[in-house]
Amino acid sequence: MSIEQITGRYVTVEAAGRRQRIYFEEAGQGRPVLCLHTAGSDTRQWRHILNDPEITRGNRIIAFDMPWHGKSLPPEGFMTEEYLLTTEAYMETVLAVVRGLGLDRPVLAGVSMGGRIALQLAVHHPDAFSGFLAIEASDFQPAWYDIDWFQRPDAHGGEMGAALVSTNISPHAPEAERANTLWMFMQSGPGVFRGDLSFYTRDDSLVGQLHRIDTARTPVHFIVGAYDFTCTPEDARRTADQVAGATLAVMDEVGHFPMSEHPEAFRPFFVEGLDRMP
Amino acid sequence: MMERMRRIQAMLDAAPHLHRLGALFSETVLIKVDGDEFYLVFDKGRIDRVVEGPSKKTPYRFGFITDGAALEEFWTATPAPGLHDIFAMVKIGRAEIVGDMLLLVRNLRFFKEVLALPRARREAVE
Repeated sequence: MSIEQITGRYVTVEAAGRRQRIYFEEAGQGRPVLCLHTAGSDTRQWRHILNDPEITRGNRIIAFDMPWHGKSLPPEGFMTEEYLLTTEAYMETVLAVVRGLGLDRPVLAGVSMGGRIALQLAVHHPDAFSGFLAIEASDFQPAWYDIDWFQRPDAHGGEMGAALVSTNISPHAPEAERANTLWMFMQSGPGVFRGDLSFYTRDDSLVGQLHRIDTARTPVHFIVGAYDFTCTPEDARRTADQVAGATLAVMDEVGHFPMSEHPEAFRPFFVEGLDRMP
Repeated sequence: MMERMRRIQAMLDAAPHLHRLGALFSETVLIKVDGDEFYLVFDKGRIDRVVEGPSKKTPYRFGFITDGAALEEFWTATPAPGLHDIFAMVKIGRAEIVGDMLLLVRNLRFFKEVLALPRARREAVE
């Protein structure tokens, strides 16, 4: 028998004019590192980093479920709403969690859409953070697919979403972790992946803004997997090239969900990224 | 390649979890490799028969068109980036999907797993 070191609690915050009851997990002590999950998934993606005794020896690793995701319920009245994530609501939610948990300028580590919002926050709210890890992150990715595929009455959106994102999982990933990673997508609420993709594939407001990031104040480090065909290494390079002073590392045997699909291969890159942060 | 298609048929017969996933899938799918046509006739999640082309008379719902070298790499234990997944193959220009895309997407996990059945197991090559 073993009991993991991760603890989970709830914090209620006001964000985007709504009361949001947000589930978060944390482990460790020291420098706060706030971690953001990808679209259509939840905090469980960070389970290996949260359980890493060496990383958590000097870092307080915190991850939270965005509203509508994982154990964070949608806001009151959701049954008649169409969930469509926006840049403003996403930034407000992250900032509300930082305030709600009393975090003093955490490192922000975001993956995929979490990486996108990390870059938006680096542009618009750098004072709230000490540095940014932009993982599988780019300035903009239009969809080659129809996001409406993922909420239909005649098919299981979660299974379809999982099958779609399996494109971005490395064949080097352990089979068990590939399955766990896909399971989270299968469990996603109806329309949630679609609503996240609306933000990720239609909001191009970051384009042309990246030059505003001052990496002397808040360093930005990009990490991208070679098997990521949503945000390819070329997409990450194109984005990093727009941020003066940013650094980038490419993981040869990893895809779009590094911390979840292939934790062993991701770990050294995450540690290196943390080492680059204040 | 016909032998490969028959191998997929046999491996699918031995994969009960795919019979569950494909229980509502009874359609004909074209696999076109280096110009050679193979029509996989599915019946409730199994391949009832493989019909070799060319044929202009065989109706199919969607088709996957690629080249033999790409497909052989796809079936290795750890394919190179881009050749590890059918949608990635399309993205890098090594494959094309034709026909009813939505039908494919509604059955995407089933079809991806069926097409990957000949993939070498990593444990066997390491």
